[in-house]
Amino acid sequence: MKRAFTFVWVALLLSTACLAQESTPASSPMEPQRPPAGARAPSTPAQAVVPVPVPIAPPKPNGPVQRSLVRITNTAAEPDYKAPWNAGGLQRSVGAGFVIDGNRVMTNAHVVSNSRYLTVEREGDPNKYPAKVQFVANDCDLALITVPAPDFFKNMIPLKFGGIPALESTVSAYGYPIGGERMSVTTGIVSRIDFQLYTHSSIDQHLAIQISAQINPGNSGGPVMQDGKVVGVAFQGYSGEIAQGVAYMIPTPVINRLLKDISDGHYDKYPDLGITYAKLQNPAQRKFLGLNDDDRGVLVSTVVTAGPSADILRPGDVLLAIDGHPIASDSNVELEGERAEFQEVVERKFRGDSVKFDIWRDKKPMTVTIRLYTPWPYLILGHSYDVHPRYVLYGGLLFQPLNLDLLESYRPTDLRLRHFFEYFVQDQIYLRHPDVIVLTNILPDPINTYLTAYRGGIVDEVNGKKIHTLDELASAFAETPEHFVIRLIGDGPPLVLDRNKVEAARERIKTRYNVLKEQNLEEQSISKTPQQVSKI
Amino acid sequence: MPRRFCIVFGILLVAATGALAKKEPALPTSVNATKQLALVRVNVTGQSYDYFRPWQKKAPFSKRALGAVLSKGRVLVTADLVANQNYVELERAESGEKTAANVQVIDYEANLALLEPTEKTFLDGITPLEITPDTVVGDRLAAWQLEPTGALLATEGLVTTIQMTQYPIDVGQFLTYRVSIPMQYRENSYTVPLVKNNKLAGLLLRYDSRSQLLDAIPAPIITHFLKEAESQKYRGFPSAGFSFFPTRDPELRQFAGETGKAGGVYVTRVESNMPAMKAGLQVGDIVTAVANHDIDQNGNYVDPLYGKIEFTNLLTAHAYSGDVVPLRIERDGKPMQLNVTLEHRDARDYISPPYNFDEPPRYYVLGGLIFQELSRQYLKEWGPNWQREAPQRLVYFDRFQSELFPDANRRVVILSQVLPANTTIGYDDVAYLTVTKVNGREIKSLGDLAEAIKQPVEGFIKIETEEDPKQIELDAAQVAADAPNLQENYGISSLDRLD
Repeated sequence: MKRAFTFVWVALLLSTACLAQESTPASSPMEPQRPPAGARAPSTPAQAVVPVPVPIAPPKPNGPVQRSLVRITNTAAEPDYKAPWNAGGLQRSVGAGFVIDGNRVMTNAHVVSNSRYLTVEREGDPNKYPAKVQFVANDCDLALITVPAPDFFKNMIPLKFGGIPALESTVSAYGYPIGGERMSVTTGIVSRIDFQLYTHSSIDQHLAIQISAQINPGNSGGPVMQDGKVVGVAFQGYSGEIAQGVAYMIPTPVINRLLKDISDGHYDKYPDLGITYAKLQNPAQRKFLGLNDDDRGVLVSTVVTAGPSADILRPGDVLLAIDGHPIASDSNVELEGERAEFQEVVERKFRGDSVKFDIWRDKKPMTVTIRLYTPWPYLILGHSYDVHPRYVLYGGLLFQPLNLDLLESYRPTDLRLRHFFEYFVQDQIYLRHPDVIVLTNILPDPINTYLTAYRGGIVDEVNGKKIHTLDELASAFAETPEHFVIRLIGDGPPLVLDRNKVEAARERIKTRYNVLKEQNLEEQSISKTPQQVSKI
Repeated sequence: MPRRFCIVFGILLVAATGALAKKEPALPTSVNATKQLALVRVNVTGQSYDYFRPWQKKAPFSKRALGAVLSKGRVLVTADLVANQNYVELERAESGEKTAANVQVIDYEANLALLEPTEKTFLDGITPLEITPDTVVGDRLAAWQLEPTGALLATEGLVTTIQMTQYPIDVGQFLTYRVSIPMQYRENSYTVPLVKNNKLAGLLLRYDSRSQLLDAIPAPIITHFLKEAESQKYRGFPSAGFSFFPTRDPELRQFAGETGKAGGVYVTRVESNMPAMKAGLQVGDIVTAVANHDIDQNGNYVDPLYGKIEFTNLLTAHAYSGDVVPLRIERDGKPMQLNVTLEHRDARDYISPPYNFDEPPRYYVLGGLIFQELSRQYLKEWGPNWQREAPQRLVYFDRFQSELFPDANRRVVILSQVLPANTTIGYDDVAYLTVTKVNGREIKSLGDLAEAIKQPVEGFIKIETEEDPKQIELDAAQVAADAPNLQENYGISSLDRLD
């Protein structure tokens, strides 16, 4: 039941601020951003720019971190789901990053997401260096970028990674909070080590470490260090009604996992079992299932058909052990002396890896092996980045597949739409509607003036043929019948379009609403870098 | 529906503060206070059922209102006022004399009720109000209230609109007068009669103090209610049982094969077992005339009094249960006539009943698991914003009930909450689940559930749900043994109510 649980937290964590410093969206992209105080003025002769020596105080436990730290400025274009043919509004944000081995810079995914132009700066160097994204892992909010300028990494010191810092031990966070140009250091202690929702994707839960160091927008992507080693990457905070000033960092197990995943030049994402399960703490239920009174096992509730456990696990199975680690009835396992949710075992694996379960089915023990991958239906429930929204515009009617970004940009109150989103996985709605195609908007034209009542409807059929995906809808519209009769889910009249009239209106609508392209069927990546986004 | 009461009350209170600031002009000349006003005060105490603790009632409420005295010793009030009542009392305006009263007839959907005093002579000396059914837009109506002295307080307003609107119980639409009127707050401002030329024209339905707009239950609906109340068995307002959509869109008209002059509505849904279905109406038909009145593309007919108004008025205000109403339709371009025998659709005939008053809710408690039948009354326990705040899956089931549960003759049984107890350890997080099976038997009502629970399988009661965790088991013997303890601990007077 982990995913569902995650969902509850989305609403709760809405106030969670990603820590990248966002400047005001530039209304006109041509307008230069106001340089922050102290920025170099164009009139200053180049030779007058003297790198200000940073006085190095003698005892510095973490070494000269400023020789590893970079300041990242990202000009990003956020997809416009209401006018998906547009490039989207530009935004500039500042975050931190740090040099690691292999001439790479590590930072948060949200620091570089939707990037159109990326520059890095380093302490004591007046230049801005264009940078390129190498890998983005949106599910764990990490990214690797590189700087093509030949000498950039010459005087930089790559940082090494440490382990999980002990509770109550002191850590220092480095970054450029509130947009400042000079490095900032804050210290604090390790407060808690636990699973947290990563708000960048808003569906993934991984290990995260809460620290008491001051962390503010602009700290994102900066290293958190202890004894000269990186023990985490600052990434998100929480401020709300129940708690304030809570800061989190991504710990090294998550970082190491990413580095290992991309070692083959491709990021595969976190795999998932694609099941929900319930704790088995009720004595009567344990007795009914024929289990011993040994506090072991969790009950499988749902097996996602599109996931790796389909046809291997069944609802009603009891998971007794994972890769030999006994699963307690509260769903925890013991790993290296620490109790953790048994999913942590899966977390540490990669696509194509196997996981072995000792299970209890029909009062008999069994062993099953599951080859892991990422079940796709979950993906629509999280945020996506660096992709062009998919859509079909026909006769001024805008059809878009339902996903979290769409929902957040339209904020529909329609009960059916919200139900289809919320229960997309649990009720296995994706089997009938891999794409839940919504008539999101109507660009008014004489041919669609009577159709406003259909807005918000979900497409079921076109001319008697069930429509499962946006591609099928596009192909249906490519046919040449006299009329298109579009049935929406639920009661309601069919939506009827006269094809000849639509064809005659096409250019008119395109011109009037400045529609650059009438459809986008591929969720192709925005950047040309091939590895940037991996598709399953 | 106590919550709605509170709102109306609150609004009137706000209105009072506003109205008190400025001096009201003298009484409108059109209103003549008769010596013996046909108004009585109505004092009601009641208790609504607690759907979160279905074995108990909520704390008592009391409401003070006015009633319009009609012929034959009857007093007309809104159903809102007397729903879930324990005790109703009438009070003479001037003398303060009181008597108990009974609810003779009540129609929650039309929001009307008739009271009769237990003391037959109580209303003697009062000239009953006659009813005037001919109010039209532009008429002036007076709202009759009482001063603490028993003197009349009359406020005049203008009828701005007459249209079909949703009444507080959202079952169908009824004719409504909208009146622009600056109402003042008085203690008994609950059921306020609206009067034209000393005749009853309507009854306050709701009032918005900010816009100073009042909606009134109009005389035609009151007359319909009174006529029906004369009959042996009160049957309620009739309905045909189909949904429709305007045919303004020429493409849709063409698709439906309409050939004649543009008009009529497109049938989008025909409820099973309802009059329209029995008469043979089908989805995709175009209804062009109802009761020999032509219908335009928006679903309006021309009423001799009101002009254009939605045709549903012909089925509610004008027709009675049992009446045969001709529908002229076009199917695939061919004109046809269907004769629909109208019926009232009882709240019990829904899968998720739209309302429930004066009857205790059904429930079943099993070792700390509370089972209930889904109903809108249960969802309304989440307050005026229940549609957003109640569990959304259940709101979805309620809204799309006929589409989601084609088998009309059933209820949706939910496991609504869990009381922590020895039997429910580990189940504490469970709530709002839809029960599909118990001990392997399909569950379509609480009765089914109670029967199935009696047949444990090898000593266990197995409950299957549509949502996670999908299955819950209890030890039948332990449940029985712990029952007295559970009742004592949570103050549950009875573990089930199934009738």
